[in-house]
Amino acid sequence: MSNASTKRKRRRYRAAKRAALILICCVLIVPLIPYGLSATGSQVPNPGTDLWRAVRQRDEPANARTQAEGVDAAVLINATGEDWRQFRMDILVPIGAWILGGVFGMITLFYLLRGRIPMEGGRSGRLVPRFSVNQRVVHWFAASQVVILGVTGLVLLYGRFVLIPLLGPEGFSVTAAACKEVHNLFGPIFLLAVVLIAILFGRGNRFNAIDLKWFLKAGGLFKGMPASSGYYNGGQKSWFWLTILLGAAISVSGLILDFPVFEQSRTVTIWAHLTHSVLTVLFIAAALGHIYIGTIGMEGAAESMIQGYVDANWANEHHDLWYQEMEAAGMVDVEPNALEEVKRHDNIDFRGFGSPGSPGVDTKKG
Amino acid sequence: MFLDFVEGPFWYTAVVIFVVGVALRLVDIFRHGKQEDLASVQGSAAAGALRTIVTRSWTAPGFTRGAAFHLVAGYMFHIGLFVVIFFAAPHVAFIEERILGFGWTPAPHWLFILAAILAFAGLLLAWLRRVMHPVMRQISTFDDHAAAILTFVVMFTGCMALFQSHDSLRAIHMLSVEILMIYFPFSRLMHAFTFLISRGYTGAAMARKGVNT
Repeated sequence: MSNASTKRKRRRYRAAKRAALILICCVLIVPLIPYGLSATGSQVPNPGTDLWRAVRQRDEPANARTQAEGVDAAVLINATGEDWRQFRMDILVPIGAWILGGVFGMITLFYLLRGRIPMEGGRSGRLVPRFSVNQRVVHWFAASQVVILGVTGLVLLYGRFVLIPLLGPEGFSVTAAACKEVHNLFGPIFLLAVVLIAILFGRGNRFNAIDLKWFLKAGGLFKGMPASSGYYNGGQKSWFWLTILLGAAISVSGLILDFPVFEQSRTVTIWAHLTHSVLTVLFIAAALGHIYIGTIGMEGAAESMIQGYVDANWANEHHDLWYQEMEAAGMVDVEPNALEEVKRHDNIDFRGFGSPGSPGVDTKKG
Repeated sequence: MFLDFVEGPFWYTAVVIFVVGVALRLVDIFRHGKQEDLASVQGSAAAGALRTIVTRSWTAPGFTRGAAFHLVAGYMFHIGLFVVIFFAAPHVAFIEERILGFGWTPAPHWLFILAAILAFAGLLLAWLRRVMHPVMRQISTFDDHAAAILTFVVMFTGCMALFQSHDSLRAIHMLSVEILMIYFPFSRLMHAFTFLISRGYTGAAMARKGVNT
């Protein structure tokens, strides 16, 4: 092999090495140029920006066309979905937890300070009929729905944070899937419960001046501040209207989410979800108070919804105006089962006592 | 593995106990026959049986108002449960694949959901009334409550497994169904098979004596 040929090969080899080195430098350095320019304050227009802005339809009206039929079919990326996600993760989840935890804490604190509110006069042994069979059935029917939907809903909202550490991702996946199906199926039943509550508990729940005085005395929750009331007190009336109004709003917003077959847009479902979740957190917080005062918070209160009767002293201490009317009507100290038998089990109506224009007991119904 | 067990050996065990148990109960009822009736024949026993089967499907005159709640809840539950059991798409597919070898058109999804809602609401309302009503509470036995609770558990686990997203949910539903099938022949759930027989028998016996039922 001649020297000239060897020299040519070496030159070509050196040239190839330099070219490779320059190529590697370009590959490594060129992508850094935008960062360098950015660091110096220079603007580099992204050629894809306009395209993606149009796709997101954030700055322009939704004027895209598609052969696909259906609401939102022409929307490629729904930018409001990100707003909804941020609201859910950054506001709803933490603030909801603070509200529920705060209410639970306040109830616990109240219990520790006040204890169980006793019957001041002790048990008299004389019973007063309070709620009919149908009222109690509907109450516990609604309560069962609140528990089922409340638990499954909270699992869907907080399960990711609470249950994954306990059950693991697979266990939470199974739990969440089951809760979602149960929540979706039982949702419409809650609406039925709200309607039945409105029918069976509606009469006697109109606010009046007596309720204002009751509120001013904090419902008699504190010692030495007895508050007069009729058949329902201000707190019970408030809870009734919360149940009806929040319950209806929660149910309707839930139905919008549950049956996405009526051409509701993504924006509508996002608003339905916001309404549903915010109102539900408030409803559960209020329900905690109702459950507390109806069970461990007050002696003798739960009996009205379990047995349908209350002790005469309880009635006199917490619903004195109603008690006086019941006493005048001879409805104090009754035999439970005998009364049920006489009144054909459930056609009696005890509402309205203690309220202006009270109808009294309709003895003809029996 | 758990799914294999509940869809395999335990399923066949439950089917055998259910079929043999129900058959034995029915054979026992028919084997007793009817008491000898010495009264002169006043009317058609067959017509009386048919009439009573129909009339006992509603409340007796004068009792409708008092029983309205139970009547509505009862029909909600039974009609809803019937549609769910025999016309839910997963059930029709199961019946075709595992039991009969043929199927039928399942109910549309909206009808299935409506039926399930009616069944759940009806069952809860009827059972709560059984617990709350002083007279019904007195005449209810452990069997009544067990049957209601077991039925609710079966429906609830079915609801959990609605979209068959996890085998474990399907296995839990199958297990609860099989427990119910084993319990069925020994309980008042047998009324699913005997309600026509008892009504027909009563109607025939009374009509033959000339008693209007």
